[in-house]
Amino acid sequence: MVKRYRNFKELGDTVVLYPDDYINDIEGEKLEDLCANYLDRGFRKIVVDFSETELVNSIGVSILIGVIEKVRERDANIYFSGLKRVNYDIFSIVGLTKHIRIFETEEDALGIGPKTAGQAVL
Amino acid sequence: MKDKTLFSTCPDGEFFGRASEIEYICGRAGAALPAPAIFLFGRRWTGKTEVLRRVFRNLFWGQARVVPLYYQFRGGRPGEEFAEDYLKEVLKQYLAFRLRDSRLVRNELTLDKIESLLVDNDLYDLADLAAVHREAKKAGDETAALRNALQAPTAVSARSGIPVYLILDDLDRAVSGAGQNEARLARELMDSLGPSSFVASASARRLIEGGVFNGPAEAIELEGLDEETASSMMMDLCRLYGVGFDAEIVKLGAHRLDGNPMYMRNLVWAASKAGTGLTTLKDFADIYTQELFEGNTGFALKSALGLRGINALRVLHACSIARKPLTSEELSERFRQGESELDSIIRTLSAAGLLEASLGSLKWTGDAAVKDFVYFAYETRVKGRSTEEVRTYLAREVLKEGFNFRSSKIAVNPQDEVSEALKSFNGQKSRKVLFSHQAFAARFQKGAQKAGAVDDGELAFPQVVGCFDSERLEANEAGPPIIVAHGFQNGRYDSGNEVVWMAAVKDSVSPVNIGDVENFLRRSQILRENFRAARVVRWIVSREGFTAEALKRAEAEGVLSSDSVQLKIIRENLESRGKGAGAAEINGIAPVKEFEVVLPSASKAELVAARAVEEIGTEMGFDDAAIGQIKAALVEACINAFEHSRVRTAKVYLKFAASAKRLTIHVQNGGVDFDSLSEAASAPAEAGKLPKKRGWGFELMKGLMDEVRVEKVRGGAKVVLVKYLVRKGDGGNGQEI
Repeated sequence: MVKRYRNFKELGDTVVLYPDDYINDIEGEKLEDLCANYLDRGFRKIVVDFSETELVNSIGVSILIGVIEKVRERDANIYFSGLKRVNYDIFSIVGLTKHIRIFETEEDALGIGPKTAGQAVL
Repeated sequence: MKDKTLFSTCPDGEFFGRASEIEYICGRAGAALPAPAIFLFGRRWTGKTEVLRRVFRNLFWGQARVVPLYYQFRGGRPGEEFAEDYLKEVLKQYLAFRLRDSRLVRNELTLDKIESLLVDNDLYDLADLAAVHREAKKAGDETAALRNALQAPTAVSARSGIPVYLILDDLDRAVSGAGQNEARLARELMDSLGPSSFVASASARRLIEGGVFNGPAEAIELEGLDEETASSMMMDLCRLYGVGFDAEIVKLGAHRLDGNPMYMRNLVWAASKAGTGLTTLKDFADIYTQELFEGNTGFALKSALGLRGINALRVLHACSIARKPLTSEELSERFRQGESELDSIIRTLSAAGLLEASLGSLKWTGDAAVKDFVYFAYETRVKGRSTEEVRTYLAREVLKEGFNFRSSKIAVNPQDEVSEALKSFNGQKSRKVLFSHQAFAARFQKGAQKAGAVDDGELAFPQVVGCFDSERLEANEAGPPIIVAHGFQNGRYDSGNEVVWMAAVKDSVSPVNIGDVENFLRRSQILRENFRAARVVRWIVSREGFTAEALKRAEAEGVLSSDSVQLKIIRENLESRGKGAGAAEINGIAPVKEFEVVLPSASKAELVAARAVEEIGTEMGFDDAAIGQIKAALVEACINAFEHSRVRTAKVYLKFAASAKRLTIHVQNGGVDFDSLSEAASAPAEAGKLPKKRGWGFELMKGLMDEVRVEKVRGGAKVVLVKYLVRKGDGGNGQEI
C-alpha cells in the first residue's frame, strides 16, 4: 500500500522523503527527525528526493552526513534522487557522491524508472 | 525558570562589540596556571563596568575552576566603611557561588546576616572573619579591619580549595586620594593583590606605569567601538526606540561621539524623547547640543568631572584647546595660581582621566564630547555667555565638521588609490585606453561600449621600487600633490631602463582645467631635475574628469590622463593579475557596474543575497549552472559572515561588481574574522569512511567559485568571491568542477 503525504511517501518498508526548497539547519533537522522516526518504525530503505530542493547549504550537508551515518548504523539504506546540478556539485565537493547512490529520478531510485526498471535497487 | 540576574547590566540587545575582550578575560581567569593581572583601561563610559560584570556573570554561571568575586570601588570612603563593604561582598558572593543562588549577590545583607548564613553552611572559618571585623570596629582599629577584609579572598580560596578570581571595578578610585588614610588603604590593597589573579578596570594607566602595582600585568585598552560596530549599534538603538534615521547621519554621529556606547545610547534616547529623528545633519546637531547641555550626558559629565572651582575649569579648558601639551609653569603663569593649588587641580583632573601629566607637561586625554562640554561650561561660567549663544556656536561647528566628514566619505582617497596602483605596477601591462581620458570617454560613453572600437595597444609598466610624494622636494609649491614612483622597465635594472612616474592627483569636485595641467607641466619639469632617470612618464588623475581644453593640452604634451572610473579599473586589473587571474583580464576595461545590498540579521537573510545575485548574474549572461554555483557560494559566505559578526544583531554588507569578464562579490561583516579553511574539511576522509561533518563552508566556496580570498578590513573581515564569465554557448561559465 502506498501512502503519499505532502513531504513523504511510504511504500512497504521504503519511505520517500521530499525536503523543502532550501535545506539549512532547520530543514536539515526536520529531515533528520523524520529519518530517525522511520528507522525506529522499522523502515529499511529511505529515498531522499531533492527535486524540489533548490539549494543545500553547508549546515544542511553536515546534517545529511549525520543522517547517512545513522542509517548505516541501523543497517538500513539511503539513496538520493532528483538532485539539481548545484546540489550535485556540493555533494561532490564534500565527497558524498562516493558514499551514496544517486539517481536521476525518484522512480529510478525505487527501481521502477526507465533506467533501473527490473533492477533490485531497493 | 531560575532567576540568573546578578549585578545589573544593560539589556543584551543594547550591548555591543566587547565579546572578544570578555572571552579573553574569562579564558585567562579559567586558565590552568594562575594568570598575570589584567588591567582594563579606558575612558569613562567606554563599557568597562559592563565588561567586568559580564565577565563575572560568565564565570559565575559557566565554570567551577575559580570563584569569581566582583567589587566596585567608590572613592572618598573611610577605611573602616570600605573594609566592611568589601568583606560583605567577598563573603556573600562566595556563598552565592557555592549555593548557586544569585539573590545573595543582588540583595543587600547585613554582616550579621551573612555571618549566620556562613555558620548555617558550616563555613565557620569564614564566619570568623565577620567576628574579627566586629572586634576591630569595636576597638576602633581601622588597620586591623582593613587587613582582615583584604585577606578575605585568600581565606575563601583556602576554605574552598578553589582559587579566587578578583574582578575589581574602578580600582583607581581606591588609590587616587591624596590623604594619609587613602594612601594607607591603597598600600594595603595593592599588597593584598600581589598573589591573587585579578582583572581591574581604571581610567588612567598610572596604576601600572606609575609604580602603584608592581606585579606582572597585562593591559587591555578599551577604546570606543570601531566605526562600523558603533554605527550598527546606533542604528539598532534607533530601531529599538522608534527613532527614524539616515544611515550616513548615524555614522557621522558614531564618529563624533568616538564610538562611546553611553553617549550614543543617550543621544538616541534623547531623540526618542524629543520625538525627532536622526535623519539630517541639523537633527543631529540639535539633539547633540541639547543632550550635552541639558540631557543625561551633560548631567553625567557634570558629576563625573567634579570641577571644583573656576580655576579647575580654566586649566581644563586651556589644556583641551591647546595644540601641544602645556607645562604647569605656563598654566601657573597664565592663571596666576599657586603651586599647591595647581598641583591639586592637576591631580584631580588626572584622576578623572582628563589630563595626563608626564615629565612636567600636561596633555589633554578627554574625548570630543567632554571637550565640547568643557567649552560649554567655560563659556557660560567664565565668559558669562548665555547657554543659547554657546549652543548656537557649537551647533554651527558640529554642522561644519559633519559636512566635511560626509564629503570625505563620498569616495576613497584617490591619492592613496594612485599610490597603491603605482606600487602594484610590478612589470605588468595595461590597455592604453585606461591612461587616455579622451579615448576612454569616446569608447565608453555613459557606460556602454561603442561598436567598432579599435584596439589601442598596451602600456608596459615598470617594476616600481619606491613611491613617495613630492612634498619634501617642492615644499612651497601650490597645486595638487605629485606622487613619484621610481622603477625599472623591461625587467632590466640598469640606468638605460630607469624610469620615473610622476602622478598628479586632483581630488576635488571640479575637473582638471588648463591651469592644473600647466601647473603640473611646470612642476614636473622642475622635479625631474632630482632624478637622473632616462625617462619620465607624467600622469594626471582627476576625481571629476577633465575640461576639453585641459585634455587637449595634456595629450599634446604626452601626459597620461585618467579619471576615477579609469583608475578603479586599473586598480582592479592590477590587483587581479597580481593574484594570477591571467590573460582573461587583459581586455577587462569596460566600466564596472556596482550594486550594494545590506542584509539584516534575520532567518534566511542569505536567500535575499542569493536572489539578488541571480538577477545580476542573469543580466551579465552567466548560464544557469554558474548562477547556481554563485548563489550557493554566496549563501555560504553570508552564513559565515553572520556567524562571525561581533555584534549579535549585526548586518552583512554585500557589494557586487559586475564587469565585462567577471562578477566580484565582497561580503563584509563587523566581526573578528571569517572561518578559515578548517582542518576538518581539508583533511582527506579515511577510506570508506564518510566525510567529516563540519567546516565545509570555505571548501564549498572554493569549489564553486573561481577565486576566493579573505581580506582583513577595519572593523572586521571581508570575503571576496570571483566568478569569470564565459558567455552562453562558449562551453559553460567558470571552471569545471
